[in-house]
Amino acid sequence: MDNEQKTNVSSQSKNTALDLLGTFGRNLGLTLYALFALFPLVWMIICSLKLDSEMYNTVFVFSPTLDNYKAVLLGTDYFKAFFQNLIVAGGAVILTIVAGVPAAYALARYDFKKKEDLAFQILSFKFAPEILVILPIFTIFQRIGLYDTYFGLIWVYQLITMPLVIWVVRGYFEEISVEIEQAAQLDGYRWFDIFFDILVPLIKPGLVASALLAFIFAWNSFTFPLVLSGFKIQTMTITSLRYIASDTVHYGQVAVASLVAVSPEIIACLFIQKHLVRGLSFGAVKG
Amino acid sequence: MRVCGKCRVVFLVVLVAFLALLAAPATAEDFNWKKYAGATVKVLFVQHSVSEAIVSKFAEFEAATGIKVDYSITPEANYFDKVATSLSSRTGDPDLFMSGAYQLWDYSSAGFVEDLSAFINDKNKVVPDYDFGDIVKSAADALKWDGVPGHAVGTGPQLGLPLAFEIYSIAYNKRAFEKAGIKVPQTFDELLAACDKLKEWNGQGSYALAIRGARDWGTIHPGYMSTFANFGAVDFAVEGNRLVSKVNSPEAVKMTEFWVDVIKRGGSPSWSRYTWYEAGADLGAGKAAMLFDADNNGVQQNWEGASQEAGNIAWALMPVAKVGDTPHSNYWTWSMAMNSASKNKDAAWYFLMYFTSKGFAEYASVEKNSVDPARTSVWNSEGFGKKMAKQEGYIDTYNKTINSTTILFTPQPYFFETTTEWAATLQDIVAGKYKSVQEGMDSLKVKMDKALEDVEIK
Repeated sequence: MDNEQKTNVSSQSKNTALDLLGTFGRNLGLTLYALFALFPLVWMIICSLKLDSEMYNTVFVFSPTLDNYKAVLLGTDYFKAFFQNLIVAGGAVILTIVAGVPAAYALARYDFKKKEDLAFQILSFKFAPEILVILPIFTIFQRIGLYDTYFGLIWVYQLITMPLVIWVVRGYFEEISVEIEQAAQLDGYRWFDIFFDILVPLIKPGLVASALLAFIFAWNSFTFPLVLSGFKIQTMTITSLRYIASDTVHYGQVAVASLVAVSPEIIACLFIQKHLVRGLSFGAVKG
Repeated sequence: MRVCGKCRVVFLVVLVAFLALLAAPATAEDFNWKKYAGATVKVLFVQHSVSEAIVSKFAEFEAATGIKVDYSITPEANYFDKVATSLSSRTGDPDLFMSGAYQLWDYSSAGFVEDLSAFINDKNKVVPDYDFGDIVKSAADALKWDGVPGHAVGTGPQLGLPLAFEIYSIAYNKRAFEKAGIKVPQTFDELLAACDKLKEWNGQGSYALAIRGARDWGTIHPGYMSTFANFGAVDFAVEGNRLVSKVNSPEAVKMTEFWVDVIKRGGSPSWSRYTWYEAGADLGAGKAAMLFDADNNGVQQNWEGASQEAGNIAWALMPVAKVGDTPHSNYWTWSMAMNSASKNKDAAWYFLMYFTSKGFAEYASVEKNSVDPARTSVWNSEGFGKKMAKQEGYIDTYNKTINSTTILFTPQPYFFETTTEWAATLQDIVAGKYKSVQEGMDSLKVKMDKALEDVEIK
């Protein structure tokens, strides 16, 4: 082996070592970041397994117990609140998709008077502080019998979910060339077929991502269900705080309630992870 | 024979009164609890152990009265937003709601609260064994106010009936005092000395005294306001037809200087974010040696298995200027009030009467965990004595404080604005944003006077 070959081998092994170091460093960095990002969740799990008497004086070493799980899941009507929340948030997102996607299409494709004003009006609903509009809505709901009903909450949640879906999906529709629709029309497709068979698959990433975000916003909504329901319907956001009473706090039970509350969001995110980043980065900046 | 008109009127009045007397039930058994059967009452509860006790008796109440109950329980942090919104809609929903006295000043000024005196004083509406006189007098009086800013509580409409309350005292860790070899402080000077001696009594991070410090009104009303009164200071005085802040008086400044000293020498390093539960939790976790807060706060840490220091906590009177002085405690009452727009007032009254009765109060305190019952008979009962046997000094401290306990704030409709400003100023003084306590309190006085500039005493 001459000197040149020796140098090449040594430089190759140096590169391999650097690559390995790079890979190791990257993985170490990602692992550390994952630990950092997941730590709140891990901390909640730890707290959920601790007795009240060990809450403040132990960190990682303690006697684990399932008492908090028993108290929350079996001792209270927490599951009822969970399903009520699911009905309200899920119903709100379904209604948003049914009404919002055609609205987004109209805003993207058709020209009509005050189109942009209307679009911004819809967007402004998202920014209006809930506490500002809650009193008139409360009074109206009381009068027309929508107070403390599923439909009432699903309806009012449209203020949270609709603007997001309309604005994201509108960007997607605008991205799709109108010629595609015209070509399909020439091939004899009806408008409904074009919409469902051609356009909906194309907007799917954006629709899934915005629907998921809308679901999370609806799931986490606090002020609307706080004021507009409570006797027959009580969502989880309100019920989760039940373990912080005016005379005592059970942090272990709060942790269990929070873990159950975040589980649908985590599961939904894991299932549609692949659509999420692409969906939001694609559509959200258009418009 | 001719009968004059006046005589006829007198005769009729006497007849009606006689018939009413006959109609009034003579015994508890004669009382018709089913009179409003079929009605539904809607009730808003805050999350509290007394609410849990009430809810656990709904089936019994519905069976006894035929009145259906719809209820909602909301955590305290957001509860009053819900109450204020519901009351201001004037739809009559809810019929009843839990409240503190301070909030009732606000709601009653807007005409949202029913005067319960009309029910209490009507013998036909009150079950004979109700015994209003058994309700802790100062608790019932704390919920009376005539609506005139500056007038003390205790007169005027009965705005609510007490379910439970809090008075303020020192809860302390017996182990800490044994370790330090000192006695529980009885005077202001002894409290300061104890602050120094109990520094790091249980290792690094432990400290002498847990008190509230968060930037909200809750910081002022327990230990601070009680000590404020014990220094002889007052928050407002009536001058002409106006309420004028007196928080910069010499007594108020001296007291605040003392309080700042206590915080700096004996308080938690995180004092400025402490609400009742951080303060109580530190006592239970063995971080704080003392807690100057609601008497029931320490109890929740002292039930068996509730905290690390459970079983080591005992109670003593709050410090005063010199041994033997009367300790003046401020008051917090959880009460049930009636919406003046309610469409089911009589059924709502039955609910109120049922759940403020002696029997229920005993159940809530002895079988459940609602301490500080609003009924004197429960405080004196054997069952309650047994229940609280391990809470050393708790009942004794109550007995020595209750007669000098009242709401020490001057009633006025801007209570929350002015008291939150007070807490903010206290934080700023501790943080050194003012050159002196006097300067901070002068600045607070200006803000309080401005907040009340539209309040006119008629």
